[in-house]
Amino acid sequence: MARLTLRDALLRGKRRPRRFGAGSPTTYRGDGYEFVELRAYVPGDDVRRIDWAATARAGELQTRVVLEDVALTLAVAVDDSPSMQVGRSRTLLDAAHDAADAWFAAAGSGDRLMRIGSNYAGPPHAPVAAPFEVGAALATARAALRRGTALLVIGDWYDLDTRHEDLLANLGAWCDCTALIARDPWYEGLPVGGIVRFAGAEGGTLRTYVGKRERAAFFAAVREREAALAARFAAAGWRCGILNEADGAASLRAAFGVP
Amino acid sequence: MFAGAIVAVVLTLLYRRGERRVDAQALRYSNLEFLQSTLQTHPWFARLMQAGWIVALCAVVIGLAGPHLKLPVPVADGNVFICIDTSGSMASTDVVPTRAAAAAAAARAFVEEAPTGVKIGLIAFSGNAELIAPLGANKETTLAAIEQIPAPNGATAIGDALRLAASQFPPTGHRVVVLITDGVNNTGVDPQEMADYFGAHHVPIYTIGIGTPNGDVIGGEASTIDESALQSYAQASGGAYARVENATQLRDALARLGRETTIERRPVAAGLGFVVAGAALLVLTMLSGLYLGRFP
Repeated sequence: MARLTLRDALLRGKRRPRRFGAGSPTTYRGDGYEFVELRAYVPGDDVRRIDWAATARAGELQTRVVLEDVALTLAVAVDDSPSMQVGRSRTLLDAAHDAADAWFAAAGSGDRLMRIGSNYAGPPHAPVAAPFEVGAALATARAALRRGTALLVIGDWYDLDTRHEDLLANLGAWCDCTALIARDPWYEGLPVGGIVRFAGAEGGTLRTYVGKRERAAFFAAVREREAALAARFAAAGWRCGILNEADGAASLRAAFGVP
Repeated sequence: MFAGAIVAVVLTLLYRRGERRVDAQALRYSNLEFLQSTLQTHPWFARLMQAGWIVALCAVVIGLAGPHLKLPVPVADGNVFICIDTSGSMASTDVVPTRAAAAAAAARAFVEEAPTGVKIGLIAFSGNAELIAPLGANKETTLAAIEQIPAPNGATAIGDALRLAASQFPPTGHRVVVLITDGVNNTGVDPQEMADYFGAHHVPIYTIGIGTPNGDVIGGEASTIDESALQSYAQASGGAYARVENATQLRDALARLGRETTIERRPVAAGLGFVVAGAALLVLTMLSGLYLGRFP
């Protein structure tokens, strides 16, 4: 059995029938139906797909199996704000770029690519004012993307608040949306104790005491936040995954259940 | 002091600068707001440590500058006037070699045994009272003054001696009169009045009797010892009477006087205190920092 690819996973998405497509018309060049095989008729098969010539030759009903040939539009938005430029061995932003590269690498020959953000080279992009702000990025995506576009948004989602719920749900219904939540570098626990100085990635410092109780509270809060975000994305009709600092591409594949 | 304050300010600024440098190596975190809400932090704790460090540093520097502070300090304020009888009756030889010599020896012994810090004055009296040595804490001076006591001659004016002592005493503090005499007053102010006066002002008179009950004959006159009068003076003033040969009570009284102190505001060299307190606080802050700041 052929290895399932990211693209396959996208095609298997709820708005992309993989096989036995209904033949819905598409407007993209190259879209159509690719013949896969002939097999014996199974009750329930669409009678319009019975291959009569083959039936005559075989002496029993044959169904013509086709694969819908669909051009995908893959869009990605990466939160490149300073809050993503933290990490233990490398920054979360590096991992996010890896995931975005893997996202584009999944594209087939006829697929179209788009970036949503600022200062990108390469694929065409829908500009968003720097620094990255999740509300602005989602609004731009909603305005710039065609219906059914596969959209990947990677970020830490700290600035996602309740004002964005409607936009999130609207975009979830409009596109095939996937969110990668950057996992806190200290997800496994704060490695410090005593009086610790923290420097905010987006400015400011905090000197505070970190003890056993504080570490436990942080440990629980990080998980709680991640779970709450995942629940919000699920409610808005988004696919959701976790971006691990170590391997962005693997994080993306995991989000799609692709090995 | 001013230079010390400048040094303290400079060290504090350097500390702050070093702290900013450490801030640059602080643990980077993506969202401080989230972190703060999670940790329910107490920034005052860290501030307290910082304040402790700065205060300790300032204390050490100020201490090294050698400040003097006006502080309430305990001061030994014992004042003793030794009133020695030099009347003619003191020439009696019923006490070997003479009463005068025995009195001088007793005075010398008391001065030598007096605790450090007690001020001692010396009054010699016969027909009138004479200040031989004003109140002073220098024992050598007082001992030398004892050698200046005039030879026995004339009447006995105990009351005058007591009045002179009263006029020479400071208005406050712990005061004691040691009266060394054979006790027969025959001129001047009534000693009993003076004893009552001293009693009213809580100045005890310790009376030391010199002589024997049988006494001696000086110039055709019987020279005895008036112990009842001496006891009366002591009792009226809150003191005690003793014969010179067993005057241990007086020694005890003198020792007690040496322990008596009053609280006075005096300029005190506070440098060592500042340095010690600052160093202790520094060590405490450093140890706390090491303990709390250790990495698990």
